[in-house]
Amino acid sequence: MSLAIAGMGWVTPLGTGVDAVWQRLLQGVEASATTISEQFADRVYSVFRVPESALKGISHPRLRRASVISRFAAAAGLHALESAGLKIESQNAERIALIFAISNGGVSYTKRFYHEIVGTGAQAASPLLFPETVFNAPASHLAAILGVTGATYTLVGDGAVGLAAIKMAEELMANEALDYCLVVGTEEIDWLLCDAYRRWRLLRMAPPIEPFSKQNRGMILSEGAGAIVLARDGFVTIERAHQGGHFRRRAEAEKILKRILCDLGQIEIDFVVSSANGTFVDQAESQALQEIVPNALVYTVKPALGESVGAAGLWQIILAAQALHSKEVPPVLHADHSVRLRLSFSRTPIPSARRAIVLSCGLNQQAAGLRLAIQ
Amino acid sequence: MAQADRRESTNDPARVAVTAAGVISPLGFGLAETLESLCSAQDCVTPVMRFSVTQCRCKTAGQVSDSRLLASHAQIPRSGRLHRASHMMIQALQELVTQQPEFQPELTVVGTTSGGMSYGERYYRSLNGGGDLRHAPTWIANYPAQKPVIDAQTVFGFSAPCHVIANACASGTNAVGHAFECVRSGRYQRVLAGGYDALAEMVFVGFDSLQASTPEKCRPFDRHRSGMVLGEGAAVLALENLDLARERGAPVLAEIIGYGISTDNFHITQPEPSGVGARQAMERALESAHVSAADVDYINAHGTATAFNDATEGKAISALFNGVPLSSTKGMMGHSLGAAGAIEAIVCLLALQHQFLPANINFTTPDDDVDLNIVANEARPAVVNTTLSNSFGFGGTNASVLMRKFPPSPRLPRIGDA
Repeated sequence: MSLAIAGMGWVTPLGTGVDAVWQRLLQGVEASATTISEQFADRVYSVFRVPESALKGISHPRLRRASVISRFAAAAGLHALESAGLKIESQNAERIALIFAISNGGVSYTKRFYHEIVGTGAQAASPLLFPETVFNAPASHLAAILGVTGATYTLVGDGAVGLAAIKMAEELMANEALDYCLVVGTEEIDWLLCDAYRRWRLLRMAPPIEPFSKQNRGMILSEGAGAIVLARDGFVTIERAHQGGHFRRRAEAEKILKRILCDLGQIEIDFVVSSANGTFVDQAESQALQEIVPNALVYTVKPALGESVGAAGLWQIILAAQALHSKEVPPVLHADHSVRLRLSFSRTPIPSARRAIVLSCGLNQQAAGLRLAIQ
Repeated sequence: MAQADRRESTNDPARVAVTAAGVISPLGFGLAETLESLCSAQDCVTPVMRFSVTQCRCKTAGQVSDSRLLASHAQIPRSGRLHRASHMMIQALQELVTQQPEFQPELTVVGTTSGGMSYGERYYRSLNGGGDLRHAPTWIANYPAQKPVIDAQTVFGFSAPCHVIANACASGTNAVGHAFECVRSGRYQRVLAGGYDALAEMVFVGFDSLQASTPEKCRPFDRHRSGMVLGEGAAVLALENLDLARERGAPVLAEIIGYGISTDNFHITQPEPSGVGARQAMERALESAHVSAADVDYINAHGTATAFNDATEGKAISALFNGVPLSSTKGMMGHSLGAAGAIEAIVCLLALQHQFLPANINFTTPDDDVDLNIVANEARPAVVNTTLSNSFGFGGTNASVLMRKFPPSPRLPRIGDA
C-alpha cells in the first residue's frame, strides 16, 4: 500500500516552515552554531539550536510547563495539519492516528528531575517535572491540543526511528478506519547528550560536519521537529517503506544498508537523501550507495542542520519530498570533492526526477529506508 | 460461486495464534513458576534494596533476583556489560525459543518506558560526584530504550526490525495489540511481541513524588487502597497466522482476537474521571473481535490501586460488563510499567490454558462506588474461554487486548446470563 504526503511541518535551527527552511537550504545557508557549557566541567560544546522566534505563537495550557521538545513537536504538528488543510473535530478525532518518533526524549527535564534526587534527596523530587520525563509526554500534549481520541503511539529508537514511525503509519493505515496519520519526529539538546556522544566518540566539538570524510571527525547535535500528515492522496507518495533491521556491530551497518537499497532501488532512483553525519555512518552509506545506486545524486542535510537524531528521519523525508516537488536539490555543504559519490555540490536542478530514496542509519544499531515518488 | 467464496475468505482478516511465550517477573522465571505463583496467590513484593528508599513513602517493589538472572547468562559474550533489562529480555526470549526453535519473526514489537535507565543514573551520578567514568561508554551504549530488545534478538540470531513503543504504562499492551493487528491484516505472518522494564531509582522516586505509590500493601480495587507498588520484568509472545501455524504443526497456546486503543486528553497523569478513555479502549477491543461483553469470562484489570485509576477503570468496567470476574495481578508482583501489558497477557494466557481466575490479593473491603466481581485473595478454577487485559498510561493512553482459548471449552452459564 502506498501512502501520500498531504502536509508537512518543520521546526529547525534554520527557522520554521517548510518553504522558508527549504529556500535557505537551496541557497547553501548553514545554521549558526551556538555553545552550551557542561555543568560539572569546563567543556563547551557547539550545537545547532532552534531560534526562540521559531516557537512564537505556539501556546496552549498543556504547553505551559512542557519541555521544549513538546513545543517543537506541537509547532511542527500544527503546521503540518495546516498545510494539509486538515481540521480535527469530534467527528474525525478517531480517524486520525498520531505517531511520534523520539530518541533521547525530554532529556533536560529528566536531568533536572534526577539532579534534584542526587543533590537533595528523593523528597526534593518535583511531581511537576516527572510526567515531562516520560517518553510519550510530547505525544500526549499534541494529542490534547488537537483533540485526537484514537491511536497515539510513541516509538523510541535511534536516528532511524523516524522511518520506523512511517512504517508503523503504513501498518495502521492498512485499517480503513483511519483516514490520516500525523507522524512527528522531535528532539531537544542538552549538554548531557553532548557529553554522552563525545564519550562515545561520535561528536565533534565545533562545526563543520564533514560528510563522507574518511576521518569521521564527528557530528554536531541539533534540535527541532518534523511532522508529516500521511493520507491516501497527496502530492508525493511513499511508494515503499523498507522495514529495515538492526546491525550488531558498526562494521555490519553497510550490509544492512545494501539490503535496504537493493530492495528500494529495483526501479530507477534519481536521488538519495542520506543520513551521513560525519561518523561511521558515512562510510557505511557511501559503500552501499556506490555499489547499489551508483548513478543516483546524493544529498545530506546534516552539515547544514546538524544531527537531530529522533527528528532526523522526518527531516530527511521532508527534504526528499520538497526536492521532488521543486525539482532541485540543495548543495551538500563541507563535502570533499574527491568523495566517490555523485554528491550535489551545488544547487542542482533535477527536472525529470520521479523517485528518491531516504536512507537512515542510526547510531545505535538500527537502519531503515523508504522510497518516495511524485506523479 | 466457489470463486466468490474463495475471494471473500482471502479478504477475511487472518486469525492470530500465540504459539510460544516466555516470561520473567517477580512471580518467577518462566511460565511454570509464574503459574505456580498465580495459583497460590503469592505476594511477591519485597523491600527495595537496589537503591536507597529512605526518603520515599513507598519502600517496596516486585523485584527479579539478580543472582539468578545474571548467573543464567554467564556464557553470553560481554554479558557483564548488558543492562538488567537486556538480561530479562534474553531470559524471556530463551523460554520462547525453547518452545518454538523454528520461530523467526519478521517484525518485533515491544513496549518499554525506561530501557536501561539505571545506567543513565550511574553515568549522571558519576559526572555529578566526580566518580569513576571509565565505564561511561558502556553505560551510554546500553542506556537506549531499544537496546535490550536488540541484545535479546542478537543472542538468538533474530534480525527482525523493532518497533519499540513507549506509551508509558500501556506500552506492553500496545505492543501485543499492534503486533496482533500486523498479523491479522495479513501484512506479516510472524511477529514477536512483548515488553520489558527494570526497576530504576528515578522512576521509583517519580511515582513516589506524585504520591501514586503506597507505603502499605498494594490493594487494587479495595475501598482502602492507597496506591501502587512498582515491579519489573519482561515477557514475549510469538504471534503467528493461525492457519499457517497449524499447517506447520505448531501448538496454538491461545488466540488473540481483538485490540482497542484510545487516547483521552484529560491530564498527563490522571485518567478522565468518567472512565470514557478506558471504556473506549475496551469497546474498541470488543468491536475488533466481533464479540460482546457477555462473551468475556475474565478481566485482567490495569488496577494499579491508585484512587483515580481504580475508580475510573471500575466505572468503565461496571458500565460495560455485567459481573464478569476481574482481578488486578499487580498486588502480587507490582506494576512493571512497559512490561506490565505483556506480562499480564501471559497471565491471561495461563488463565485460559489452566482454566482458573488469578487472584486480586490484599483485598479486604469492596469499594461501594463501583459494582465489580473481584476475584478476592484466592485464585479459583473456572471455565475461561475469553479474557480481556487492560493497560492505561500517563498521557491518557489506553489499551485493551482480548484473548481466546484455543480450541474453546464448552461454556457454562454464568449468573446474569439470559
